[in-house]
Amino acid sequence: MGYRANTGHPHATPNFRNLVIRPMWMTLKTALRTVPFLGRLGFLRNDYHGKSASMVDPATRERVGVDHPTLWQKFAADRETSEIMPFLERPVTVMYPYERLEDLEPWLFVPGNYNGRIGIIWETCTACKACVRACPNDCLHMTSEVRVNVLDTAEEGDEWHGYGSELEEGGYAARKKDDFEDIGEGFDLVNSHSDAPQQYDFGEIIELSGDKATVRWSDGTGVETIHSSSLTPAEQDIVSGQIDIGRCMFCGLCAEACPFESFFMTNEYDGMSGFTRQDLWFDASRTRVLPAVHQERVDMELAKRAEKELKKRERKAAKAAEA
Amino acid sequence: MASSDWLDIVGWTESMTSWSMDNVHDVMPSEDIDLQVTIPSTWAWPDPITVGPIFNLQDGFASIQPALEAFMHAMIMCTVVFGMMMTTMLVIPYIERKFIGRLMDRLGATTTLRSLWVGESGVTGGEWWNKLPFGVGGPIGWTIGALNKTWGNSHELETVSRVNNRSYHGYWFLLPGFFQAFADFFKFATKEHIVPRDADKVVFEVAPVIILSTTVMVFAFVPFGPHIYAANPELSLIFMMAIFGVAPLGVFFAGWASNNKYTLIGGMRSAAQLTAYEIPLLITVLGVAVLSGSFNIIEIVDFQIGTDEGNVWNIFMMPLGALLFLITMIAEVERIPFDMPEAEAELVEGWWTEYGGIRWGLMFAAEYMRSYAACILFALFFLGGWEAPFQDTLADLPWVGGITEFGLSLIPGVGWVLLKAWALFAVFVWIRASLHRVRTDQILEFGWRYLLPLSLVHLVMTIAIRILLWDGGPWNLLIPIAITAVSGGIFVILAIDEDKDALEIQRRPYSTQAVVKASPGSHRD
Repeated sequence: MGYRANTGHPHATPNFRNLVIRPMWMTLKTALRTVPFLGRLGFLRNDYHGKSASMVDPATRERVGVDHPTLWQKFAADRETSEIMPFLERPVTVMYPYERLEDLEPWLFVPGNYNGRIGIIWETCTACKACVRACPNDCLHMTSEVRVNVLDTAEEGDEWHGYGSELEEGGYAARKKDDFEDIGEGFDLVNSHSDAPQQYDFGEIIELSGDKATVRWSDGTGVETIHSSSLTPAEQDIVSGQIDIGRCMFCGLCAEACPFESFFMTNEYDGMSGFTRQDLWFDASRTRVLPAVHQERVDMELAKRAEKELKKRERKAAKAAEA
Repeated sequence: MASSDWLDIVGWTESMTSWSMDNVHDVMPSEDIDLQVTIPSTWAWPDPITVGPIFNLQDGFASIQPALEAFMHAMIMCTVVFGMMMTTMLVIPYIERKFIGRLMDRLGATTTLRSLWVGESGVTGGEWWNKLPFGVGGPIGWTIGALNKTWGNSHELETVSRVNNRSYHGYWFLLPGFFQAFADFFKFATKEHIVPRDADKVVFEVAPVIILSTTVMVFAFVPFGPHIYAANPELSLIFMMAIFGVAPLGVFFAGWASNNKYTLIGGMRSAAQLTAYEIPLLITVLGVAVLSGSFNIIEIVDFQIGTDEGNVWNIFMMPLGALLFLITMIAEVERIPFDMPEAEAELVEGWWTEYGGIRWGLMFAAEYMRSYAACILFALFFLGGWEAPFQDTLADLPWVGGITEFGLSLIPGVGWVLLKAWALFAVFVWIRASLHRVRTDQILEFGWRYLLPLSLVHLVMTIAIRILLWDGGPWNLLIPIAITAVSGGIFVILAIDEDKDALEIQRRPYSTQAVVKASPGSHRD
């Protein structure tokens, strides 16, 4: 039917095997397990991933001896109905987190489109805060700072030239304030209780044409077209990104708002509980999407950067040829 | 074999009617009566009828005796078949109730009943037998003690056992519930009959009658055994399928007449679905008729089991046909996974919504009767009807063949038909417990795009098999073996269809779904 569902689980693929054969085999197994004598057969049992597992830890096993009824149980205590017919297993309660439903009953997978814990690929986040604005519950919090990345700056002609960032339309730029050198002179860090003074005026580059750059200054002084040599490339960096998962209702609007495909709702349901409300404040590290999962996204980003770098070098080479 | 079945109810009834009618003939006065009687003309007979002047009662009776015999025979057989249908029907909801509990791991709360005789964890409901005089309670106590010891709930893990031992264990789960159908009947029979204010009252009342009467009429042509049937016309298959196809009309009437959005949607869905599945069903049945060379159900069965005819059950000759028949029949009787017309979660029982009381009960019974009829028909068309499995092969075994044949000849054919039908109903229940309800568009797409072409393929194959491979005698056993092997192979290939992409994805610890931005058409790729 030309339909491919990204379900994230082999049991979720809507094919004949998963829609008909498997469920019918599962129910038949469940029924056959209740037949006397026939129900003892090993292949009718539901195990942990096909292995038998004891719920008793080694120390307890040592203490109670080999003959204790607890040791006969393959599952948690309430799985078995009686000593006489121990094959009448009735999976009633899943002892999460010691057991997990997906492990015991693998056909009950968590769907790929389940809105679970928030996962963010921080490497590709641009701190645009679209997610923060989209969040109806105000549970996303992000602090960012526009700054000149001093490691990126490179002067024309120096050894590292060509590897730093460049002015680009839509990006940030900074201009040194007039009293650049002296601005920090009189600042009393200990007693002023305020931010350190900025040495730069920051703005957003609207247009680049030749040597001229049109900049919208962030302090509200308006749009100005100036010579681009007076500008330094700047960038917006994330200072902190926090989520109050206790407020989250898992609506997924944040993931939908993200223009860079960095924000996801994973299908994980664990790891979102704690003993205090403070435990539910997730730092960036707890929302990180594992590299195994986001490898494609990172590859995409790397490809984009490589392309950009290539263009930059071509431009540079063209400029050099002109000169 | 049809003729060797000792349970010859049709023959017995024929003998009985002719014997009794002969007696009636004999007790009639044999002398001529000199009397002229003229019955004046009415709207029913335009000419006046004149008897006499001299007539003989015995001769007159003799002229209508065959018709009277046939009528009496038909009346008796209808009663027998209806009674047999109604009594064996009890097994159907019983199987459903018992088997689905096993399949779905809901064993039922019967702790209370069971505790009365074995007690819970060794504690019975008071040792009342000790209070009996002269120590007569002793044996009762021993018995109960023994029961407690062997089948009682275990003492270990006491609390757990007390909470969980809620069922009859082992074979005992079969005990309760058999007569639930009677209780249900009385409940429905005593309920109020309500017709909705805005309903189309006549159609509303007529619809259950249409459904029930046509459903019962189906059984007129369905033989329970070689000699147990109400009517056996030459084209009984066509009669039967025609009547089977009337009930959907009643369903649509019911949905329309109730004047309710749920019933209307349910009726519409029912009409669409039944139309879509009626056609492949009829084509499949046509294939059965082609292979067996007859439109008579009894002859179709005889072709499968007669040593001088095909002598191979049709399921081995056309597994595809059996599968198609099963699927289309499940859709025709509106059972899960094709129970969209009465989807209780979304449509509040669909076209049944406004019915209550005995009308609802009878329609419910009709639903099960149709399922039952479908199961019996499957047994007749594909499972050799009233023949024991591999009967001829067993009878030909070198040492035990004779005794086996004798033992099988003691079992009347109706037993095999019922066993096969019940087993097949268990399959219906199994499917119901396992599969999801299918969406309406998927049902229709499946019906038109897959079942219809497949049924045509099936028909062509049966025609080819009949014309090219049949030499007029029993089938060469290589043919059914080859057909069954190839079909099984195809089934296995379909069943092991593993999604490699999904397996690849599964190596990830969890899934992040790429969000598709909402925009027109973005839900399709």
